[in-house]
Amino acid sequence: MDNERTQTEERQLPQVIPATDILEKEDGFHIFMDLPGVDKNDLVIDLNDEEISIRATSAQKPRGDVRFTHSEFCSCQYARTLTLSSVVDRGRIRAVLKNGVLDLFLPKAEEAKPRRIEIQAG
Amino acid sequence: MVIDFSTFYDLPGGFQRLFDEFSRPLAISQRRGTYPPLNISEDEGHIYVDVSLPGVEMSEIELSLTEKTLTLKGERKMEKGSYYRQERPGGFFQRIINLNLPIDREGVKARLVHGVLEVSLPKAEVVTPKSISIESA
Repeated sequence: MDNERTQTEERQLPQVIPATDILEKEDGFHIFMDLPGVDKNDLVIDLNDEEISIRATSAQKPRGDVRFTHSEFCSCQYARTLTLSSVVDRGRIRAVLKNGVLDLFLPKAEEAKPRRIEIQAG
Repeated sequence: MVIDFSTFYDLPGGFQRLFDEFSRPLAISQRRGTYPPLNISEDEGHIYVDVSLPGVEMSEIELSLTEKTLTLKGERKMEKGSYYRQERPGGFFQRIINLNLPIDREGVKARLVHGVLEVSLPKAEVVTPKSISIESA
């Protein structure tokens, strides 16, 4: 019963697709996601076979009896699913949430790293 | 291709966005191009300005208050690397908020919570309404 109620409450929040950067560095990939207003406890990251899905809820604490004169953002629900490549080492994925930005580090699997091949003189 | 960008996967979300665009209240849609997005609210004693600034440290934000305006300045730094997808805005930003009331400068507070800057500006005492007791003769 209680659970049902929280679900309907969540559904009322607008859905937002968070702005995301995907970039490659030497050691692997980084996914940066803007999640302003999200606490660590309100963030869920699920890893399936091929997909990584991020869901979060931002809830600004209401300040009591205030009147909004201008509004450009509000509490919302963030959701985004990304497809992982096979070169990512799933066991060592790291997630850090700092200042409202999620930093997902996806290291490359050892076998996928470029390697120089020694040439032996015959 | 290393990471699937999932453009097609996102299609239901695209419709949702289109729908949101129409259903959004006018007050929000009026100035969507400005960065960073902010909310202004007030109660009897304070004006509150909330700014959505994920990934920016307090030391990188410059807040200044003049008699009539609150100015917010800073820079959002970009990560270095080769980008496959870039949606997060970066670079210098500035926003000026007009204040139509005198502010008690000493009492201004600002804090950064999960990437949202919360500034509270207490209204100067001159403008807060005061009830005057009437004595009967």
